[in-house]
Amino acid sequence: MSASTLTSPAAQSSTRRDHEWAVAGTGMITSIGATSGEVFDALCAGRSGLAPLRGFDPKLFRAQHAYEMPEPTRTTGVDRPLRATDLLGRAISEAVADAGIGDDLSRVPVLIGTGLRELRSAELWWTEDAPMVPADLHFGTALRAMFGAATTYTFANACSASLYALGLGSDLLASGAADTVVVAGVDVITESMFGLLDRVHPEPVDAVRPFDRHRRGVLMGDGAAAVVLRAAGRGPVRARLRGVGLNCDAYHVTAPDPVGMIAAMREAYALAGVTPAEVDLVLAHGTGTLRNDEAEATALTEAFAGSAAPPLVTAVKSMTGHTSGSSGLMSLVVAIFSLATGLVPPTVGLVDPVEEADGLRFVIGDPARAGSRLAQVDAFGFGGVNAVAIVERGD
Amino acid sequence: MTMPTIQGTTATEDTARTGNPVVVGLGIAAGGLTAAADLLRVGPAVPEPGDRPLPDPAAFDPAPLIGGRGLRYKDRATRLALLAATYALEQAGLSGVEPDEATGVVVSSNFGNLDTVCRVARVIRAEGVRGTSPMDLPNASSNVIASSVAIKFGLRGPNLMVCNGATSGLDAMYWASVLIGSGRVRRVLAIGVETSNPTVGELVGTMFDGAAALVLETAESARDRGIEALATVGGYARRADAARAADAALRADGGPAGIGLLLADAGQAPPPGAGQADGRDLEALVGPCSGALGALQCLAAVAWLRAEGRGAALAVAGADADDGSAALVLRAAGGPR
Repeated sequence: MSASTLTSPAAQSSTRRDHEWAVAGTGMITSIGATSGEVFDALCAGRSGLAPLRGFDPKLFRAQHAYEMPEPTRTTGVDRPLRATDLLGRAISEAVADAGIGDDLSRVPVLIGTGLRELRSAELWWTEDAPMVPADLHFGTALRAMFGAATTYTFANACSASLYALGLGSDLLASGAADTVVVAGVDVITESMFGLLDRVHPEPVDAVRPFDRHRRGVLMGDGAAAVVLRAAGRGPVRARLRGVGLNCDAYHVTAPDPVGMIAAMREAYALAGVTPAEVDLVLAHGTGTLRNDEAEATALTEAFAGSAAPPLVTAVKSMTGHTSGSSGLMSLVVAIFSLATGLVPPTVGLVDPVEEADGLRFVIGDPARAGSRLAQVDAFGFGGVNAVAIVERGD
Repeated sequence: MTMPTIQGTTATEDTARTGNPVVVGLGIAAGGLTAAADLLRVGPAVPEPGDRPLPDPAAFDPAPLIGGRGLRYKDRATRLALLAATYALEQAGLSGVEPDEATGVVVSSNFGNLDTVCRVARVIRAEGVRGTSPMDLPNASSNVIASSVAIKFGLRGPNLMVCNGATSGLDAMYWASVLIGSGRVRRVLAIGVETSNPTVGELVGTMFDGAAALVLETAESARDRGIEALATVGGYARRADAARAADAALRADGGPAGIGLLLADAGQAPPPGAGQADGRDLEALVGPCSGALGALQCLAAVAWLRAEGRGAALAVAGADADDGSAALVLRAAGGPR
């Protein structure tokens, strides 16, 4: 398999590598923590948010577990609309406070990547007659109420949505249209997506085991993440975003294609002006599905085939669940904390790596201590929408 | 630190530089509409909203017109988008046969997969997960339209699904332009689509059932391929209200001079300096069109600019009740303002 024929116009453009942008602040909330720091500490401690189903009636499903928000955010046996909107607001609030830009975003573009929008609210409207208006489906109305934001965008780009939004945010900064953008990702589990994934798994999934031979598939999680992205020279520098590769396999509506993944990785290296050998750490997409992990391991193996010292690889979905559209940005925030602290969370649940991952250096068991400078973050979604980011330590 | 393909506009806080791509292909797939110029008809094409039943989805079947295989499990929004895309790519001189890394896809739809999601949730409540069909899995993901278009035509550039409420269609045109202006791709197939079905009907009421597609391309690339530029994409802005969005988009584009067509809600006052513009409210013509509106407005604008041979059109979407408004300028290709 070769991706040598796949070269995007962006990858050919030598001028783009001069760009870099500061990640000035981060926010993150999941089943295992309500702030970026809490989530990162939990990940390093190997703590998982896996728990018996609370929000859905377990009798209706084969899978009996998920990575839902804990009480009181997610109440057992009952559900309420607009939980995604709520998580999104919290992640953005943390990020803008961390960046010190205040919570008036009336002049700041806000880009939201989501797999499932507020479709959970739509399900509650349709099945339980819960209140809903059409504008609830996207996040603009709430962002205007919470932050005065008017230049807001909801992108529904499956499981790479928030990393896609990050790439688009960097394009806005590069164009000069803005000097500060907020990029966020959010999803809460929908009954339809949880159920359909449950339906297609060969056997019921009890836990996410990224890249493990005995993985059964994916379980979803609730969560949101946010970053404040600024042109260089403005505010704190938690990390530097070097580039985001974006493409589409144009192959299959649900099955991944390693060729498209490799092309996205190579585009990210070209945009960042780095070689694969310079990458120290990979936050893999690692969903624990049979096909993603095989394809991603193949792609990573090929991408780093020439590296004398291949990077450390880890994946967090065994602790957060697959947080869908928010997962890419969540991995980015984890990468930023790993670059800053030198600690890399282990891939919990990974015992016996798949054959395709033979050459990859996974972090297994305890967190790794590593003085990393450059990290790669992967996010791949249904429809073959691939996004790969390169981020550099802030100091 | 300069972008290679950006030309023209001056950077200000309100200026979104997009490289000013040109429009090289148009497509429309909707019952009763066969060409972009149909959107310039005066008076409603259908009975007045309020006294008509929901359009019968069976009245216009895009499937036989699309060609090829693999449509069986595609939802209606995807089928409509595929047909509009077929027409637009054909006009743009793109075969859609060879894999193409230089073309991206941006699709706008707010309600495209709402019916699938709601139906599956109800089936699960009634029968459990065993009652569901695996064939519904792709359609439960909101980006299924954009990715299905990419798969059908081998378009491997960035693939983006915009679900951004009333402004979504114009926003999609803008992000298509950003993808081109940033140098990621030379071309973007941009589509706006909505469908009418009982679920959408219950949530929203009457809804346009159809798709509109445009191919945007750098002027240089279109010239190199010998493809005629139909119009040029100009300034854009998204703001808290329609007046501010229009003002910012016009400022990004050099002011209101030459605006001869205003595509906006009939209640929307023309922006200062554009009072003489011919005003058209497409939703009065074809009914509420949500995420498809911006693409339909762009088709109407291109048809108008082609007929006039000069000038510019301003499209505005999003009213006071919405979370924001967007405005986009299109100019006659190569002609004077």
